[in-house]
Amino acid sequence: MSSGVIDGTAVLPERISRFPFPFPSDSYRYSTNVEPALKTVVTEAGAWGGRLLDIDEHYRHELTERDAVLTRDPTRLQVLPHMRPAVWDAISTLLPIMAAEHPDAMSFDRDGNACRWQNTLQDLDLEFTLGDDGSLPVEPLRFLGSQIQDDIALLDQREGALWLDAGLVTFAADWSFGFDVGMKFLEVHGPVPRVHQEQIITRAQQFLLRLQPGEKYRRANWTMTVDRRLDTSTETYPQWARDRATVAGDPALPDRLHLRVEVQHLIRLPHSGAVLFLVRTHLLSLSDIARVPAWRERLGRVLAELPEDMAEYKGISRYRSAASAWLLGT
Amino acid sequence: MTATALQAKVHPAVEGGLLLEVADLSVQTASVTSITFTDPAGTALPGYVPGSHLVVQYGDGANAYSLTGSGRHPSEYTISVLRVDDGAGGSLAMHRLAVGDLVRVSHPRSAFAPVATARHHLLIAAGIGITPMLSHARAAAERDSEATLVYVYRPGQGAHVQQARELLGPALAECTDRGSFQEELTRRLTDQKLGTHLYLCGPAAFMDTVLARARELGWPQGRLHSEPFGAAELDQGEPFTVNLARSGVTLEVPAGISLLEALENAGKGVPNMCRKGVCGECSLQVLRGAPLHRDLYLSEQEKSANTTMMCCVSRSLDQELELDL
Amino acid sequence: MCPIAMAPAAGTGPEAGFRGVIRVSFGTAAVPAAEGSAGMAGHDVRFDAADREALASLIAVLEQARVGVRLILAGPPADVAAAAAAAAACGLLEEEVTLLANESGRRLVFCAHCRTANTTVQGVGSEVDCEGCATTLAFSGHFSRRIGGYLGFAAHAEEAA
Repeated sequence: MSSGVIDGTAVLPERISRFPFPFPSDSYRYSTNVEPALKTVVTEAGAWGGRLLDIDEHYRHELTERDAVLTRDPTRLQVLPHMRPAVWDAISTLLPIMAAEHPDAMSFDRDGNACRWQNTLQDLDLEFTLGDDGSLPVEPLRFLGSQIQDDIALLDQREGALWLDAGLVTFAADWSFGFDVGMKFLEVHGPVPRVHQEQIITRAQQFLLRLQPGEKYRRANWTMTVDRRLDTSTETYPQWARDRATVAGDPALPDRLHLRVEVQHLIRLPHSGAVLFLVRTHLLSLSDIARVPAWRERLGRVLAELPEDMAEYKGISRYRSAASAWLLGT
Repeated sequence: MTATALQAKVHPAVEGGLLLEVADLSVQTASVTSITFTDPAGTALPGYVPGSHLVVQYGDGANAYSLTGSGRHPSEYTISVLRVDDGAGGSLAMHRLAVGDLVRVSHPRSAFAPVATARHHLLIAAGIGITPMLSHARAAAERDSEATLVYVYRPGQGAHVQQARELLGPALAECTDRGSFQEELTRRLTDQKLGTHLYLCGPAAFMDTVLARARELGWPQGRLHSEPFGAAELDQGEPFTVNLARSGVTLEVPAGISLLEALENAGKGVPNMCRKGVCGECSLQVLRGAPLHRDLYLSEQEKSANTTMMCCVSRSLDQELELDL
Repeated sequence: MCPIAMAPAAGTGPEAGFRGVIRVSFGTAAVPAAEGSAGMAGHDVRFDAADREALASLIAVLEQARVGVRLILAGPPADVAAAAAAAAACGLLEEEVTLLANESGRRLVFCAHCRTANTTVQGVGSEVDCEGCATTLAFSGHFSRRIGGYLGFAAHAEEAA
């Protein structure tokens, strides 16, 4: 399945050919960039987006990493009591999809509430009962998070708003799920510059409020991360903040600095009516990006052109010029 | 299977939906029949949020009906239809269905969901408004959350009374006359613990009365949830003409056909969702003429401005309407 | 879920089934008498601070009340926020609660790194040293009603040591 354009003499590896490169043009602004899920997007290096639940070469490594984060800091997983049915709704919705999308590795069978889940990537063969927390080896949301690479957020809809009332977020891009749980969707996005004047979050919320059961949409968001660090949460900020300041002067910048793309799926769960937000994080180093000439140039221009307030919010203002200069060879 | 049931032309409201078979018909009262649909292949149907409705095609039209199950992993969808002899014809067509008939339906749509944080659900139904309340009561029982039902019906005409009794036991209050209902209502509205939400379904005038009483007794808007789908269908209305200003087309809208349907039949479909005047999706700008507003979406102020109308249910007071379309 | 309520001290609560206005003040704050009480029965409660005991007693009052009740909270931001969080946990909606927080007064800053809840009289946009991990925390307007406080995070972590 690896199909990429030729880079010199070599075929591009999957981490590049399947990377969801997010920039269609040389400048980037916020928008309510929501589109139907499952549409394959062809890029200069290959394609992405044909599946809801993407599994890649980092599958086992990332799930091990997630488990370690959760063990160190259990507040990354929270389920307010009224969200228990939504968690089970997410499990009974996602496992069959994952099995259908990866039939050679997984299978899901259901008879009433009795389920059997097999995942050969983890040598797992599990029987459990939907709605019965005790029938799973760990609490239900932690179990779901041990099967998919995506971070998971569940939004309750009430009083004309959406509330972030449950989730398992170990790979946060500079925010604190443990603090934000229980907040309204609009409040969670309070710190983002520009989007409020431009009504972007309000429009996104209107869209989500009207999402009907079974409908699946997606959007992409991006930032940059030093090294392949998935856990860039506010909680661990003191551990990774210094890298932001030092990477600009590091000769290893092209290998250390990564474009971080979140492919977010938005799904209205059928029975609970909760909105499921899946956030799948992809990291690709500048060195790898540079192997696709069109990407090299476009990312370089986007970084150079990005307004300062947006660069500041994304946390890239200390090194974006260095990154842009390297990409554009200036 | 009767040849008349399945229409070759798919109604826009059920496009991308399901083709189901009538598996069971059960007479509830002299005028209410329950209809159960299943997948002809026998597979499970998509789950739904309690209080959801299903749009069912009949002939050239389509009607929305509340689903009565809890919505968890259903093997069948059940609706109950009140026969309205002078309505637009949907209920009569439903009552003519026979076991084995194939019917096109939409995916279930949610517009009357239970509040997940509610500490108690107070359900109030009148007449055929019982249907979404059964769904709520069943879901509450499955989730172990508290629910009380006050059910108002005419003596001898209570659909699903037996099921409600079995489901709710002492948490069901039945009222068969106005006086006892008013008393019951006041008692309930003044004795609910914090965190109670009220869900209401029945004829429009009934819902208006209950909502007004609740507000009077200090219930804030956020605790009040009402659902018009269980109510009887609107009358057929008078014929009128629309003049589409931008496309220069004139259309006749006969009695029994909605403006939305007339536009769709003429290839002028507009975005729409509920087709019951609730969601606001099919709003149109009116340039000339006074619409006959029958929706529940626009405020009284917006209605009296006569510049916007919901074409799924509203019609015209004037002989002709001019639309920005 | 509503936290378990402690029995209120005798004679402090309104009658069972109360559906009027409960006016709660913390410290020296006063709830303007006319606030939100148009024609409704009123019940006044005063606490020194929104400590555990005060919140338990507020919850006990709310457990006795019935839908239709309104709650007014006045006092320092930290106390008003803590009481509002307790009221929300008891099932009150935003539209049933009026918050009258002093402009100044103590606020809660929650350390993202060690989870200590710090109290400060500094205003939003300033810095506070965490009592738990000694990190200097910056806090802006990012506020959680559930926690009743602001998110604090290392203010100078990107600067050279």
